[in-house]
Amino acid sequence: MTITQSTRAATTSELTIATSEGVLFRLPLAGPAPRLYAMLLDIVIVLGTVNGIGLLVYWVFAKAPGFGVMVITLAEFAIGFAYSALLEGYWNGQTIGKRLFHLRVIDQDGLPLRIEQAWVRNLMRVFDALPFAYLVGGISVLSSPLMQRFGDRVAGTLVTRQTPLSLPDEEFWARQKYNSFTEYPTIAMQLRRAATPELAALIQDALRRRNELATYARREIYRELAAYLQSEICPFPDELIERLSDEQYLMNASSILFADRGAIASSKLAI
Amino acid sequence: MILNLERFRAQAQPRWKDLESLLSALESRPDRRLDSAEAEQLQQLYAQASADLNRVTHGALAPDLRQYLERLVARAYAELHYTPPTRSQLWQPRRWLRIFTAFPESFRRQSRYFAMAALVTISGCTLGALAVRYDPASVDVLLPANYLRNPGERVHEEEQGQARHSNSAQIEAEFSAQLIRHNIQVALLAAALGVTFGVGTALLLFENGVLLGAVAVRYTQQGFGLFMSAWLLPHGVFEIPSILIAGQAGFYLARLLLHRREDRNVRDSMREWLILVAGLAMMLVWAGFMEAFFSQHHAPVLPYGFKVGVGLAELVLLTLYLLLIGRTESARVTRSGLATENG
Repeated sequence: MTITQSTRAATTSELTIATSEGVLFRLPLAGPAPRLYAMLLDIVIVLGTVNGIGLLVYWVFAKAPGFGVMVITLAEFAIGFAYSALLEGYWNGQTIGKRLFHLRVIDQDGLPLRIEQAWVRNLMRVFDALPFAYLVGGISVLSSPLMQRFGDRVAGTLVTRQTPLSLPDEEFWARQKYNSFTEYPTIAMQLRRAATPELAALIQDALRRRNELATYARREIYRELAAYLQSEICPFPDELIERLSDEQYLMNASSILFADRGAIASSKLAI
Repeated sequence: MILNLERFRAQAQPRWKDLESLLSALESRPDRRLDSAEAEQLQQLYAQASADLNRVTHGALAPDLRQYLERLVARAYAELHYTPPTRSQLWQPRRWLRIFTAFPESFRRQSRYFAMAALVTISGCTLGALAVRYDPASVDVLLPANYLRNPGERVHEEEQGQARHSNSAQIEAEFSAQLIRHNIQVALLAAALGVTFGVGTALLLFENGVLLGAVAVRYTQQGFGLFMSAWLLPHGVFEIPSILIAGQAGFYLARLLLHRREDRNVRDSMREWLILVAGLAMMLVWAGFMEAFFSQHHAPVLPYGFKVGVGLAELVLLTLYLLLIGRTESARVTRSGLATENG
């Protein structure tokens, strides 16, 4: 395979890769908070390791404590940089902390990162850590569309959230089967007429970003949207509404909005 | 058009499962190599999964399914377009030893940035030297530490303090580690400050130069020129060039970032930056040991002439290393490359 000509675009929370085969796929990006937690965990691990080595070194250099201190100082310094660089470089872009927090460093073209990139982004920490507590790096993450700190910008890498790869469960498939709104074609047509394109796009967007929203936020947004539709646009009968969750309500409404006109009319009881 | 998900699933799920198992088999293999049948299969399944993803994206509202397919396609995409180094390649000592020849090569390739770094440092030196020479009041500002301001005291202390040093290799060892760590940190910062488009690097080099020039003139003025040369040269001939190389790396990085649009392969060029940083770190390890174990010994234990001589010898060796190593090898590579082309 030759070099790919892929393009990228990003919103605040995801990177979209367009491959040379004409496929778009999105990679969710990691925000500063989980990255901070992962880093703190890694710091604890490094300090633990260094102290463990320290005990051994003191034992070996019991007669020459000065040399012991020399070895430990140098080892701590080297391990501090090498830990992240080597793990990220050779362990699929993950340190132990990143693995536990489901983060992964990748190349910004969607490929695994190379060992050189891992070294560059970790050596650049001396700049990102300025003036204290990773202030420069933090500001860089918050102001960058790809959530990159300076080390990431230079190395051309980014940190993604690693979502588990699993096929949707049976409940998902069952939900797709049947749209109860088609039982009420009049109200369904009313929904199609009254909904503005902006509203339709809003509903679709809210559903599309389901897994990016925190649970409470999702519940709140879906509840508001469904209540608005029900009261202002398309009053479906109560006995139907009672059986549906807000999310299911929106999924049904959305598939009505984006379906062929014929699909609703012919589905049942033509008007 | 809304996709009939039920039918779609029945058709497509087997091939998603195939792709999943092929990918996980591949990822668990240490060398990650495919035979040709598998490669063909991977390419085909990837193309199908891509097409399925497109259909789901545009034809259905199924965020869970779409996310699943995106992850599947992303993994296959990465596997098809990139081969990570294998573990056996990683443990080849020759790969790691290559840094000793790669460093001088990179140094020579990017020598104009070294010249820039030297120029900035020299102008700092000149400023510091002139300030101390013509404006004695500036000494308090430029040389904050007392031992820099009053060389007489310091020299006296150092020469009296022989007893302290002669028998304390332990303290020297500790001191060397601190020096190495501190110097590498400063040098790394100079190299990393290239992201400020070189401004930070230039400021750091300039400040360093001012201090150097001011100290040199101050000590020479008061008649301690020889002491100072003997004190600074044995480690300074490595330390100062390595800071200049850090500046070189910083300016090189700045130039890379400024021309990012023209050059799509910035990431490949970062190798050069890394090699420079690795090389200067090795130099600073040597400088740290010299500073702690050698430079701190003064006459009468070590005659000043001898120390200056050692410093100059180091400088010659370093220059030869940076200018000559790797030349024959790169010439040989070019020649053999030509030979294969001709053959």
